Amino acid sequence: MLKSRQGPLVGEKKSSRAITEEYAKADPIYVAKTAALPQKFSHYRPILGDGNCGWRAAGFSYFETLLRLQNGARLEEELARMTSLNNLLTTVGGFEEWLFEDMVAETTNLLRDLTDLVQSSPQAAEELLRHRFNTHEVSDSIVYHLRLLASSWLKGNPASYQGFIPDGLGVDGYRKDWIEPVNQEIDHLGMTLLIDILLKPIGFAVEIVYLDRSEGSQANSHIFQQEDSNGVPTNPNGPTIHLLYRPSHYDILYKEQVPMQIMDQLARNPQVNRALTRQISVHETPVSMGGYSQLDMTTLLCIPGFGLSSPPQHHGFHSPQYQQQPIEQAFNSSPISASISPISPGASSTTTSSGALPGTFPAQPPSQSSLTSPTIAAPHSAFPPPATQLPIHTNFPPQARPSLVSNPSITSHLPHTSELSSPSSATSSFRPSKYEWEAAADWQEPVVFQTSTFKNSHYNTAHYNNPNFQPEEWTPESEEPPAPRKRSS
Amino acid sequence: MSAQKRISKELAEVTNSPPEGIKISLVDESNVHNWNITMDGPEGSPYAGGKFQLLLVLPTDYPFKPPKMNFKTRIWHPNVTFDEHGSMCIGILKPEAWKPSSKIMSVLAATQNLLVEPVPDDAVETSAAEMFKNDRPKFNKTAAEYTKKYAK
Repeated sequence: MLKSRQGPLVGEKKSSRAITEEYAKADPIYVAKTAALPQKFSHYRPILGDGNCGWRAAGFSYFETLLRLQNGARLEEELARMTSLNNLLTTVGGFEEWLFEDMVAETTNLLRDLTDLVQSSPQAAEELLRHRFNTHEVSDSIVYHLRLLASSWLKGNPASYQGFIPDGLGVDGYRKDWIEPVNQEIDHLGMTLLIDILLKPIGFAVEIVYLDRSEGSQANSHIFQQEDSNGVPTNPNGPTIHLLYRPSHYDILYKEQVPMQIMDQLARNPQVNRALTRQISVHETPVSMGGYSQLDMTTLLCIPGFGLSSPPQHHGFHSPQYQQQPIEQAFNSSPISASISPISPGASSTTTSSGALPGTFPAQPPSQSSLTSPTIAAPHSAFPPPATQLPIHTNFPPQARPSLVSNPSITSHLPHTSELSSPSSATSSFRPSKYEWEAAADWQEPVVFQTSTFKNSHYNTAHYNNPNFQPEEWTPESEEPPAPRKRSS
Repeated sequence: MSAQKRISKELAEVTNSPPEGIKISLVDESNVHNWNITMDGPEGSPYAGGKFQLLLVLPTDYPFKPPKMNFKTRIWHPNVTFDEHGSMCIGILKPEAWKPSSKIMSVLAATQNLLVEPVPDDAVETSAAEMFKNDRPKFNKTAAEYTKKYAK
């Protein structure tokens, strides 16, 4: 059932409901997980289970994603990169060029042919790709080229991977037994190596969805992407390849029909979309009003502490997140990007809403930032004059903020602060869904995370300057160390 | 096509710098897939002095499938069947272990090495393997006798 040994090497794209049907009579865990799958991924592409499926799936996706970018120059860059990687194969990998040059030629020929077609006839390019990947000789050559790349990469970077090599094989033993034999299935380390050498350097992320018998109603997934030393994705908006893993088999998954990036977030959580529209509508109001005079009610409600619709803990949780976000922004943004940093409050509020979900979906960095784009436009167009002051808010070191905010001349520009609050508290008419209420109950613990800056500011409901002032209450439970709420996946 | 390209390159390598004690020719000049190999019994082995004929067949999907090698000359060896097939069991050519990055030159070297050092735990000719393990002098004597008898 899992591995089809017949049919094309790379199949046609199908509705992912086919997977659900395939498992309809399976174990209940599979039934639940496969039933949830089509909500996130509309299509899948079966790959032949011939011992090369993982390599072939990743390889095919590499070319397919390059095609999707519709950029001939990008393909040419890849052609150059692949050619130059021959050095890695010979000097690090220790392979003789005349033994692998024919295999590399299949990769580079395909890149070259796709370059020629991608602009003039994208459809022909896609067909060519499918055809080549279904021609044994070509397909196997490309797959073996990938194996050689992964093997050489491991040889050159033993320190990073040594700990993951099974059975005390050592680097050379692992290369010999797991990577280089033809038809040897890819294991987790092999996939990691392949992603590290093939996809990460060009900013492609890979999400692997694990469909196995582990607990849960949804398949677990993990995203592999290039990160800096702090674990922050370096190319959060890059294209993502989705692979479906079933024990010892890989297929390709697709999210389609809705523009890719928004879809990304939507698939994770429809609420985010609602929160987003809500927020945009708040920002858009002033445009029609042509001033701030009539804004006060809506925007006042946006300020943490003014928002009567939400429980105090709600703010307690959101605001610290807001407070922390700009710190990160301030340090990460280059002088150039600082000029557009008014985005960050908007971004942080979106983030908060996705972070506020009942913990099932760890907020994914790439999609967070993909979400910021819709929010950017509104604040900018809505508040041309105050926009000049926004950078002050966002870029000031946190220590400076409270005094600045309490300065009456600035607080009078209440509209800015609307961006500080979470979208869910944006207006009193917005009633959080029951999921959010559940989550709100959850949030009592994380209040522990609040920064001292926040604690001493009037945004804190426990501060006597807060209009919603509410003395802090001691609860014995809160003394207990908070259990980790989220598992970073 | 790419199989032939690769095989031609390998043939050139082996012809230009043949390993010691090995001669190569094509069974049919128009077909690069079948090679005749003449291998001298390595010194220091009971096969010394013998000349062994082997047939190397490279599949059409070479190098993604391993080549097949058979002894045409009978040989008394734990890892070669003592019959008209002369099927050889050698790690490098096992389908699950075959690496397209290995080449015929290394297959030939491995074969020579197998004659010097049989692998009795991976035997196909069990009587030879038993004798090799339990009574080395008798094994050497028997192997040398068969070499004289067949590998001339």
